[in-house]
Amino acid sequence: MDTDLVTRAQRGDEEAFASLAVAAGDRLHAVAHRILRDLHLAEDATQQALLAIWRDLPQLRDPARFEAWSYRLLVRSCYAEGRRERSWTPHLRLLDSDEPMQADESSTVIDRDQLERGFRRLSIDHRAVVVLHHYLDWPLERVADALGIPPGTARSRLHHAMRGLRAALDADARPPEREAAQ
Amino acid sequence: MSADRDTTRIVRSWLEDGVTRLPDHVLDAVLDELPSTPQRRATWWPARRLSTMNTTLKFGLAAVVVAVALLIGLNYLAGTNVGGPDVEAATPTPVATSTPEPTATPPPSPSAETGGLPEGTYVLWNKDPVGTMNVTIPAPGWFGELQGGILIKNDSGADPPDGAGLIVLGEAIDWLVPTDPCNWESTLPETPATTVDQLVAGLSAQESREASDPTDVTVGGHAGFTMTLQVPDDADFGGCDHGQFCTIARESVAREGGCQRFHQGPGQIDKLWIVDVDGVPVIIDAGWYDETPPEHVDELEAIVASTTFGD
Repeated sequence: MDTDLVTRAQRGDEEAFASLAVAAGDRLHAVAHRILRDLHLAEDATQQALLAIWRDLPQLRDPARFEAWSYRLLVRSCYAEGRRERSWTPHLRLLDSDEPMQADESSTVIDRDQLERGFRRLSIDHRAVVVLHHYLDWPLERVADALGIPPGTARSRLHHAMRGLRAALDADARPPEREAAQ
Repeated sequence: MSADRDTTRIVRSWLEDGVTRLPDHVLDAVLDELPSTPQRRATWWPARRLSTMNTTLKFGLAAVVVAVALLIGLNYLAGTNVGGPDVEAATPTPVATSTPEPTATPPPSPSAETGGLPEGTYVLWNKDPVGTMNVTIPAPGWFGELQGGILIKNDSGADPPDGAGLIVLGEAIDWLVPTDPCNWESTLPETPATTVDQLVAGLSAQESREASDPTDVTVGGHAGFTMTLQVPDDADFGGCDHGQFCTIARESVAREGGCQRFHQGPGQIDKLWIVDVDGVPVIIDAGWYDETPPEHVDELEAIVASTTFGD
């Protein structure tokens, strides 16, 4: 990230901030979508995060830390948007079909359905660690730094989250219970 | 049962699915809102050194310097007017701060080389509910945000290892004193400190600060307490909430993750004067380090000792 842009934006330069927003927006939005698992909530979270970044930018002491700091504000916005989530999107169900699914395809769909369910059962705290670590491919120390938590806490959250996701996948290993379409 | 690495592989693959581009309408909405979204400035100086001050203030301070220079110059010319009448040497009178009008052709800004604010009496603070607070700057080299309650020695940002600065916090009665200045966001009290006694009690009890015992003091005719706090030498700000070691924050700001008085570095020493001005607690916070020249600390003390309130 161009620290000169950050510094200029800290001084109220809207053009500089626009450049920052363009550069960081896609990534922030992608992360928000993966944490919240809802397109509209993710858009709202990203929008709120970008405005929070603009508002609080003068308080960022080290412009070089802009990226990590921006993700912290994004996760905070995800919390707020997550609270608005009343019910999550309908479960993916296995339906009877005229054209039978190939075994591998079926397995993949079930994996994703179970993962979706398992992931949504996690708190935003845990989801954020999973996404930053496994999607952005950040080491846990960097994840911890971005979220403002000790590395041990990040490790613990990741362990807990992955255990939950593994359990969700394992549930799929049990004899399939065909669900009826509503 | 899925092995750990299989789970990781599946999760990573699953996370690859999803949007990767921020829709234009979201970005447009953000940029449209910028003009009506004020930036939240820290009421401490690191991000607001004089070199980054707004143009109006720069021009104003520059105008003060030019005005004083002109006065000095005129007096010099008058004093050296051989054969002319004697002129009593006038003491240059620094202009009390106001909101100066920017000029079409701005004179050069004051810099560390020019010494910042000329010695003299200034309105350091002028905000409700306390009103006006005046101080006398006893030596050159002080820069600041007049009326905003900030003075900095040598435009240093009051940064380690030898900076010095002073800030006035008098705009609120909803101060939150975290019990742990590093993990401050999670240790904010439920209720704000609204009196001098409550503030002193909260600050005295802060973890890791080794606060001195508060002692009675009077500043500008108003009674209160003075005490000294120190940021631990081994403090790691990177591990603190928002990367800030936060002494105190307004409730309205803190609840959204903002801090009013966060520190510039490990080892920073803060002497606080907390006095009651007509029911409002006013905090005057002077900060320095072990390596700060003693004369700069003396100047800080002298500035606070010169404080008067009111027009």
